[in-house]
Amino acid sequence: MTYVEWLRVRGCLRTCAIILAILVALGIVLRVSFARYMSPETWLHHVSMEPGTQQTNVVLPDGTKRTIYDNPDKQEHVVIDNHGSSGMHIVITEPTAHEKSDADHFSIGSVQVNESRHGTMTTTVVDTNGSVPMLYYMALADIVALIVATLLAAPFAREIDGHLEIVMTKPISRVRYALEAIGVDILGILAASIMTIVAFYLCQLLFETPRLDFSGINSRAIAMGLLLPLAWYAMLAAATSWFPRNYGAVLGFAWPVVLLIGGLSFVQPSNIVALFIHDVAWGLSRLSPLTYTSFNISSQMAQDQSISHFTLRLSMEALLFVVYGGLAIWRWQRVEA
Amino acid sequence: MSTITISNLRKTYGSTAAVDGLSLEVPSGSVFGLLGPNGAGKTTTFKCMLGLARASSGTVLYDGKPLVPETFERVAYVPERSVLYESLTVDQHVEMNRRAYKNFDAARAHELLAQFGVARTKRTRYLSKGMRTAVMVACAFARNAEILVLDEPTGGLDPVNQRHVLSLIINEAAKGNSVLFSSHQIGQVERAAERVAIVDRGRLVLEGLVDDLKADRKIVEGIFPDVGFSLDGIANDPRVQRADRTERIVRLLVSSGADEFSSRLSAAGATGIRALDLNLEDIFLYAVSPADATTDVVVKDTSS
Repeated sequence: MTYVEWLRVRGCLRTCAIILAILVALGIVLRVSFARYMSPETWLHHVSMEPGTQQTNVVLPDGTKRTIYDNPDKQEHVVIDNHGSSGMHIVITEPTAHEKSDADHFSIGSVQVNESRHGTMTTTVVDTNGSVPMLYYMALADIVALIVATLLAAPFAREIDGHLEIVMTKPISRVRYALEAIGVDILGILAASIMTIVAFYLCQLLFETPRLDFSGINSRAIAMGLLLPLAWYAMLAAATSWFPRNYGAVLGFAWPVVLLIGGLSFVQPSNIVALFIHDVAWGLSRLSPLTYTSFNISSQMAQDQSISHFTLRLSMEALLFVVYGGLAIWRWQRVEA
Repeated sequence: MSTITISNLRKTYGSTAAVDGLSLEVPSGSVFGLLGPNGAGKTTTFKCMLGLARASSGTVLYDGKPLVPETFERVAYVPERSVLYESLTVDQHVEMNRRAYKNFDAARAHELLAQFGVARTKRTRYLSKGMRTAVMVACAFARNAEILVLDEPTGGLDPVNQRHVLSLIINEAAKGNSVLFSSHQIGQVERAAERVAIVDRGRLVLEGLVDDLKADRKIVEGIFPDVGFSLDGIANDPRVQRADRTERIVRLLVSSGADEFSSRLSAAGATGIRALDLNLEDIFLYAVSPADATTDVVVKDTSS
C-alpha cells in the first residue's frame, strides 16, 4: 500500500549512500596520501635519530614489544609498548614546556592522551587504540538522520498535493495507511543512521581498528540518537500535514526557525524586551525535539546527565514523537479531496 | 454485480451547495452516464460517493452497504484530472496498483497501455495530458473491478483512443460490471450509456433510459401565417416542457403526445407542422440551459 513511500525512502537512501560513499572514498584518498606520515614507525624512526638517543628493545613475557628511547642530554625518556593490532601504549617523560602549566586530557578518535605534571617534568601517556565513544558515531549519524528525516517528513502533504484520489481509493483505512507510511519513513531514517555509522566506521577502519565504547553515557546516546530524528520527523510531518500546500516551505524553513528560536532562548533577560524574547523563545523551544538532546561528552556533563535527567529528556522525545505523530494522523484523517 | 444507491446526497462548501439532495441508483451491469454543465456537481458527487469528500448529508450504498476501505477492491476510479506521481514511471504506477489491489491484472494493464500507445518506461511528467488519462484508464480497467467510476475518462485523448475507452466501458457492462461515468462529450455518453442522469447546480434535472428519454421527447414545430397567433393554452399543458416562439414559428418541447400537439397546432392555424426527434445533446441542452440562453422569445419554460 505504501509503495510510493518506499520509493521515496529508497531515493533518499540512495542519495545518502552516494554521499557517504564519497566520504569513504575521500577517506581512502587521505589514507593513501598520508600513509607515510601516519606510520608509527616513521615517528619512532624520527625519535631514534635524535643525537644522543639510546634505543633499547625488549620483548615482554606477554609478547609485547617494548622499545625504550632515552636521551639524557634532553632529559627525554620514551617507553613504547607495542601490542600489535591492539595498539600502542606510549609513555613520554620530558621537561615541562614553559607555556604549559596544567594537566591535560584529550582524545582524537581512538587516540587518548593524558598529560600530567611532576615538578619540572611532564609525563604524557598515549594510548593509540583506545575505545571510541559510540556517542560520536551517534552524533554523526544523527546529523544525517535529521537531514533524511527532514526530506521524508511530508508523507501526507505529498499525497494531499495532488494524489489523494489514488491513496484514498486503496482498500486500506486512512489510519492504517498513515501508520504504514510513517513506519516506512522511520525505517528509512534508521537505515540512514546505520549507513552513516557503517560509513564512519569504515573511515576509521582505514586508519585503525576501532573499538567502540558502549558503556555509560554511550548506551544512552544510542537511545537518544535513534529517537531524536524520529521526533523531529514527527514534528515536521505534523506541520506539513497542516500546511500541505506549502510543505516545501515548511521543510525548508524548519531548520532556520528552530535554530533561531533555540538561539533566542539563550538571550540574557537584561531588559524587558530581552526578557520577553527569552521567555517566548524558551517556551517555543520546548516544542522542539532538538531542545532535549545533547552530545556533549565532557566528563562533567556526563556526570550531570544522571540517569533520571536523561530519562526525562528521552521521555520528552518520545512524547513529542507520539504527540506530533498523532497530530499528523489526526489531520490526515480529516483531509478531503 | 453491484448496485450503487445514492440517497439525498448533499455537499455544501460554506453556504454553497455543490450537490443538493441528489438521489440516483446505478443498476448492476449497466453503463450510467452523468451529465451536467461545468460546476454542476458531477465531480463532487463522485468524490462523496468514494469518501474523498465528506457528504454533508445523505447516504451512498454499494449493494446496500456503506463504503468501507475494502469496498475499493471492487470499485475503480478514474479522476477528472491527472493524479499520477510525476516522478514515477508508468511501470511503477502499474506496480503500485498491483501491490494495492488483489485483483489487479498487470498483464492486462500492459496490454491496454500498449493499445493506447503509452511508453511504460517513461516518467509520467513527460506524458501528455491524454497519455496520463490513458495510464489512469488502463490501470482502472486492469483492476477487474465490479464498479467503475470514471470522471471524464476521455479527457485529452485523441478520437481513436476515445473510441477505445468507450469500447472498454461497453465491454465492462457486457461482463456484468457497472460503469458510472461523466463526460462533456454527450455523443460519447449517448453511444455508451443505457441510462443517464442530468444534473445542474447540484440537483438532479432529468434521469432515465437514454432510449426512453429520446423516444418520449419530441420537438413539435409549426409555422403560423402571421405573428398574431394564439396558442390557445397549448403552452400551459403540463406535457409541454418548453415553448419557444420566434416570430411566426413555434417550437414545443413535449414529453409525450407529439401527435396530439401536432393536431392542436394545426387546429390553431399552423402549417408546416413536423415532429422532430431529439438527440441526447438536445435533451441535455433543454434540461440545463436557462431560458434566456436563446434569442427566441420564450413563451414558457417548465424545464425544471
